[in-house]
This record gives sequence, C-alpha cells and structure tokens, in this order.
Amino acid sequence: MRVVESGELSAAEVAAGFAAGREDSLAEAYRRWSSLVFSVALKTLGDRADAEDVTQQVFVSAWRGRSTFDPAAGSLSAWLVGITKHRIADRLAARGRDQRTLTAVGGVREEARVAPADDRVVDRLVIADELNKLDDPRRTILGLVFYEDQTYAEIAERLDLPLGTVKSHVRRGLLHLRDRLKEVTHGTPGA
Amino acid sequence: MEHLEPEVLAQHALDDAPLSADQEGHLAGCETCRTEVEELRQLADLGRHLEPGDRLEAAPPQVWDRVVEELGLRDAPEYEPKSVRRRLVLVGTLAAAVGLIAGVLGTRIIGGEDTVPQQPPVATTRLDPLEGKSGDGVADLIRSGAETELRVGVNGLPQPQGFYELWLINTDGKRMVSLGILDPSNGGTFVVPPNLTSQGYRIVDVSLEPDDGVPEHSRNSVIRGTLPT
Repeated sequence: MRVVESGELSAAEVAAGFAAGREDSLAEAYRRWSSLVFSVALKTLGDRADAEDVTQQVFVSAWRGRSTFDPAAGSLSAWLVGITKHRIADRLAARGRDQRTLTAVGGVREEARVAPADDRVVDRLVIADELNKLDDPRRTILGLVFYEDQTYAEIAERLDLPLGTVKSHVRRGLLHLRDRLKEVTHGTPGA
Repeated sequence: MEHLEPEVLAQHALDDAPLSADQEGHLAGCETCRTEVEELRQLADLGRHLEPGDRLEAAPPQVWDRVVEELGLRDAPEYEPKSVRRRLVLVGTLAAAVGLIAGVLGTRIIGGEDTVPQQPPVATTRLDPLEGKSGDGVADLIRSGAETELRVGVNGLPQPQGFYELWLINTDGKRMVSLGILDPSNGGTFVVPPNLTSQGYRIVDVSLEPDDGVPEHSRNSVIRGTLPT
C-alpha cells in the first residue's frame, strides 16, 4: 500500500500525476481539495448527506473524466471547483423537481430557492482557509482587520508592533491571499 | 512602462495611504494596474465580510472510502499519511464490471523440498474451464494453525500473453480480492486472510491478465470453481 507524503509535491506535479492517471495523485488531490469541495457543497446545500454525495461525485467524475483535464489550461483545484459547482447545480435542480412534485401532489408550499454556489462562497472559504495558514503575526493582524474591523493603529498598539510593520503585513498578506485565491480558483500562480 | 509595485497597489486598494503624483499618473493611464487595484479592493471587502462560519470542514472519512469503492481503486491510496486505515480494502463491484481490488496478498510457492507435512484440506474445488477456454485445476483450502492457505494446482493452461492471476470472488458477485500471480506450470500456495471464505469469498478464479499495468480484473477468466461451505 502506498502512502502519500504530504507537502512534497507542487500543485502542478499533483495535477500532472492526476492527468496521467496516477492513483496516488488522486489521493493527494483528495487530501488537498476535498475539504474545499465538501465545505462549498455544505454551505450551499445546507445538508451534510447531500454535501457528502456531491463530494463523492466530484472526485469520481473528475477521475473518470481526467482525460478532459488540461493542466495547461488551469489548476486542478480550479477544475475541481468547476465540477463542484455543476454537481451542486444538479442537486439543486433535482431538489426543485422534488419540490414541484411535492407541491403538485400534496399542496406543499414551495420553499424559497436556495441560491446556487456562487463564486463568493468559494472565495470566502478559500480566503478564510488561506488566512488560517498564514504565519503569525501576519495571520493575527489580518484576522483583526477582517474579522474585528480594527484600525491599523489599534492593531499596532494591541500587538505592540510599529505601525509600518502592521501596514506592511496587511499589504503583503492581501497580496498573498490574492495569489492563493487565483491559484486555487483559476489557474497557476502569476497566470 | 513599469507597472506600480504590488505593495503600492495593495496599499492603494486598502486606502492605506494616498499615491504620489507619479503613481496617480500611471494609474490613470494603466488599465492593468487599475484592474489589479479593483481586484484587491474586492478581496479586502470580501475579507472584511468573513464570518466565523466561513471555514473549511473536512469531509467525513467514509467519503474517501466511497470514492475508492466506486472507482474500484486497487491500492486504495492513503490520503492522510498518518491515519491508520485498514490494511486490506475489499471493494469493487463485479456487477459494475469494474472489478476491484485490494492489495496483492502475497504468494508462497511451496517447492518439492518442502518438508512441512501438509494438512488435509478443509475444502476443495475443481477448477473448470469457462466457455471457450482450456485448462483445469484444483484448489484446496488448508488451515495450518492460525493461517489459512489456498493451494492451487493447474493443468493445461496455455502459455500466456501476459500472466495468470488468482482471485477469490465473493458469492455476492460484487466483491473480489486478488491473491496474486499464478504460475501456470507449478501452481502455487497463497495466504488467505482469516475469515475471508466464511464471508463468502469462495469462488476461486484464475484470470488471464494483459501486461497493461491495469490492476483490475481483466474480466478474462479462464478456470473457476467454488469452494463448498
């Protein structure tokens, strides 16, 4: 049995292995991206069983359709996120049908439609996750900016850091989050 | 034209500080930099609207198991290096014609010089050729202490293009496990995990496998028999 060591392969290497049909690359892709897939599905669908089903479907259909994945066209995670949105849309459409059937059969009041998985759900989850992965004090500083809406002066005083240092961390942190978000949801870094 | 430094753009997007006249001038004439500022601004805005509930949650471990099962992955690769998982994963669906499998369990060829006295078999089956195939054989299930072994002798199997592989298929028709490579000249003795046969893995199947690196059952079975309960 193979054991995949984490943190050694670049995203591009995992993507290349996946495209080449390597099962350990599938496992690595799952290790890296299943939380995002599951969380986007859970947040959009609001149902754990449905989110589990969607996650399973995403990785199964991604593996079976790996010949249509082009590493040159974008990152593996972006491709998986795209599949996730489709699967979620399918699930919502099925719910809509069920709901209409129920409405027709039992006169049940049609519930408000759940919003489809928009990019903001994905982006928020990616940003929150990447924020968590930052080293301190950058993580704490950006957390105070984002979650607590603190001013740089307040943060500088609270953390006993020079104001310029706080500003620099915020700027670089923002740029880092931008790069990560691009890599995860679009293509390769810098692309 | 030199674009503005990313940190300058970030600073501007965050309304951190005003730009110099030169920087203002560049930005006014540069679509690329303006787009980047706008992206960073939206990102900062999204960041400020994050809620504590915006966090990733791991999918429950059974989801990966279901992926492995549905795809019939042979080695069931680990995705969490430190997790302790079943050493043997018996999954796959004959009905889905995917075959399936778990790791090869290991082969032991018992040579003629073996002096260990053979135990009498607890179950025996003839291995008969499937339609259009030739060859036959016999499989004996042997309990030796805590170990269970399957001793397989074969006759008349054609010289293969590829190799022969020995399988135990569950009588539910849905699951199977590979016991290893079978030598068509000498047969072999294969270690069987405890309780496998009592769980229904009683169909002894010899398949011809092409050298294509595909771990699943080729669906090209040659001889087969079922061990009695």
